[in-house]
Amino acid sequence: MNALLGQSAVLFGFLAAVSGATTTVAGLVRRRPTLLRRGLAHVWVVLGAAVVAAVVMERALLTHDFSLKYVADNHSRATPLLYTIASLWGALEGSILLWALILAGYLALMARRFRTRADDPLVGWATVTGLAVATFFFGLMLGPANPFREVVGKVAADGAGPNPLLQNHPLMAFHPPVLYMGYVGFTIPFAFAIAALATGRLGEGWLVETRRWTLIAWALLTAGIILGAWWSYEVLGWGGYWAWDPVENASFLPWLTGTAFLHSVMVQERRGILRVWNLSLLIATFSLTILGTFLTRSGVLDSVHAFTESPIGPAILGFFSVVVAVGVGLIAWRGDRLRSPGAIDSPLSREGAFMANNLLFGAFAFVVLLGTVFPLLAEALNGERITVGRPYFDRMVTPVALTLLFLMAVAPALPWRKASGELLRTRLQWPAWTATAVVVACVASGLRGLGTLLAFGLGAFAAAAAVRQLVLSARRNGWRGLMGRANGGMVVHIGVVVVAVAFAASSSYGHRGEFRLKKGESATLAGHTVTYLGSRTVQHPNKRTVVADVRVDGGQVYRPALNLFPNATQAIGTPSVRTTPSGDVYLTLIATPRTDGAPAVLAVIVQPLVMWLWLGGAIMVFGTFMAVVPGRRRRPTEPASAPGGARQAAPPPEVGHEPVRVPVRDVVGAARPAEASGT
Amino acid sequence: MTATPLTTESPMTPAAPAPSERPRHTARWAALAVGAVIALLVGVLATRPPASDVVAPSPILGQPAPEIEGPGLDGTTVRLSDLRGRWVLVNFFATWCIPCVREHPELVRFSERHPAEEAVVLAVVYDDQPSDVAKFFAVRGGSWPVVDDAGAKVDFGVRGVPESFLVGPDGIVRTRLVGGVTAEGLDRLLRKAEGR
Repeated sequence: MNALLGQSAVLFGFLAAVSGATTTVAGLVRRRPTLLRRGLAHVWVVLGAAVVAAVVMERALLTHDFSLKYVADNHSRATPLLYTIASLWGALEGSILLWALILAGYLALMARRFRTRADDPLVGWATVTGLAVATFFFGLMLGPANPFREVVGKVAADGAGPNPLLQNHPLMAFHPPVLYMGYVGFTIPFAFAIAALATGRLGEGWLVETRRWTLIAWALLTAGIILGAWWSYEVLGWGGYWAWDPVENASFLPWLTGTAFLHSVMVQERRGILRVWNLSLLIATFSLTILGTFLTRSGVLDSVHAFTESPIGPAILGFFSVVVAVGVGLIAWRGDRLRSPGAIDSPLSREGAFMANNLLFGAFAFVVLLGTVFPLLAEALNGERITVGRPYFDRMVTPVALTLLFLMAVAPALPWRKASGELLRTRLQWPAWTATAVVVACVASGLRGLGTLLAFGLGAFAAAAAVRQLVLSARRNGWRGLMGRANGGMVVHIGVVVVAVAFAASSSYGHRGEFRLKKGESATLAGHTVTYLGSRTVQHPNKRTVVADVRVDGGQVYRPALNLFPNATQAIGTPSVRTTPSGDVYLTLIATPRTDGAPAVLAVIVQPLVMWLWLGGAIMVFGTFMAVVPGRRRRPTEPASAPGGARQAAPPPEVGHEPVRVPVRDVVGAARPAEASGT
Repeated sequence: MTATPLTTESPMTPAAPAPSERPRHTARWAALAVGAVIALLVGVLATRPPASDVVAPSPILGQPAPEIEGPGLDGTTVRLSDLRGRWVLVNFFATWCIPCVREHPELVRFSERHPAEEAVVLAVVYDDQPSDVAKFFAVRGGSWPVVDDAGAKVDFGVRGVPESFLVGPDGIVRTRLVGGVTAEGLDRLLRKAEGR
């Protein structure tokens, strides 16, 4: 019953996507607005089908329908409710279903947003692109990744239960959907980039339309990555949060190109240049999400997360090739005709800084991608698979990241077009002194390590520059004026600095020790004393847990545990962490005492500032929220908040240092020129 | 893929404004170059075997396996040569190595699938405390022989853990596997080796 219903829904969604795409193409070719409108309306059918499929799957999980292979493999009667719901994305087939659902949701939002403009060929091509992507994902579910496949033979009375790693922490319920919402969200800007190339309307109109989509996708991706790091810290038990694992890199790569885009798009809006480049970045970002899915899901690389070896590799690689071929082909065809008229006047200007930023993010992404696929390339060249590990990434990434921090401090102080030395001196004086003071204070308090100190100093430099901007803006426009893209961006910068400083501190000044302790014995590491008080076994419906009681610094008792799941021979640790703003004491139970009175083995990791990684992530998301919001409030219908009339409706000026704002935007043939306001 | 941003950057850095009378094809060439690089990458990716099947070269392939001899978990002496007559997966591992921890259930599954007369795992401790190893097996399961022979890693040319060698019933080293293995991958390998 569930299988039939689910498979029908998937088939229905697939057909609706195909039919919608063909109808729209027909409308575009024959120039029939009716067909375009009808094509766009198909999006709702696709959404309906995806919702039905997801609901059927959740129902099958909640009602223990073990006749479905997916349920039998990933669910058991003893699985708690939260993880039962989360099992929808606990394995490959389900995550493709989630992907399709989120994609359909985004497409529906797009259809709603552009419902009055369905006749516009730009929207038409974007619809075609979006539905083509949807066709691929629904097609995957019809073929190699069918979540509604039935069990052959007798239906078991109980299932295997989710992968133990995935039912061990509530974050698992949030990290994948948020990450996917970020991943999939880049489909909409990608669709508009393709549409802009297809129609040849490469002006700024489509950019303004998609900017908010990109920001939201970026914020969700940021949140997803940080949540993933947090999950890995809380669950995996090795005390780290980032290992340059292929899966982590797969989510980080589109983040890098997406971040580059968010910066360079401002140059295009302001100066009308870098058009082809911006389109390339959007296409690259979307392609990287697909490539990342391939690398992590095809079993071609070893990874913490590539839980299953799956047959969808070739399909995803094929789709990746199609996406790249279409993108590259369109740019080769249109690129030169669409070259922008302007050029950059001076490298020492805001746009010059944005370009340096883009080169650095490009280099960053290249370094990470190379490190990720290097084992495969090396194998292709000389037959031996050589893995580059953490040392490669640390060595290559640190200089790029430090330069980016420096740029983050200087760029907001630079005016558009051309800067004078005098101006820079006044603007950077205060941040530079702050940075110097921070470094001096760090050295004085005994901190060492060139890279780390540089990170602290440049971080302080960048944070001070951002705070300076915010203070100036608040002084000028009052607290209400703080909302807006430029200030939101500065808040994001502060978040990045917080993350960077926490990353540098926790990876440079950590201590790790392993202790064999009998009941009542203590050990000391980096000024912290842990006392082992004993352990006990707790039987849960879905697992058996051995919990150790450990007193930290004579205060509260923490309880690291080892979990034994019936479907795994390996024990999964649950670390216990004492978190304070200054640092964490991270406890993992490595081995439980075999007999009463025998010693237990505890790993103790002391790392400073870890908590600030998550807080920094939250600040980044909040900053993006500030950057997204004002468009809503600045409708022309609110005269008080739309000072410059409709044309000014775009987010408020970058913290206006420029006495005169030059709106150099050449809206090329957009049907309705950049009326940037709200959704 | 990242090559896109790197190479298409040319259109955005026109050092001098392009003379408008002569059309330039920077974007086209950049796009085609990027396309070619990505096509190569796709080619490489498409032809890669799954990570679990990756077989690494080694000078001892096709040679008689060096002897491994040392105390086992219970103190008795364990020898590789005593296992002659069946397939032996010599698995270098350490309890501190996360990939080894991840690989372990796969080895358990592999050993459950094959009767001991047909194929066995022989775990070789790599830079580790015997007591930790005992706990590791107590907590994580697995009943195959474990041997502590510090010289074995040199004889086998092991670079890091986990690393495994498939030794035939005749005592000849057939395959070297660098990195974690999977039960499915090992089965495939065994079938292939037996077919020979």
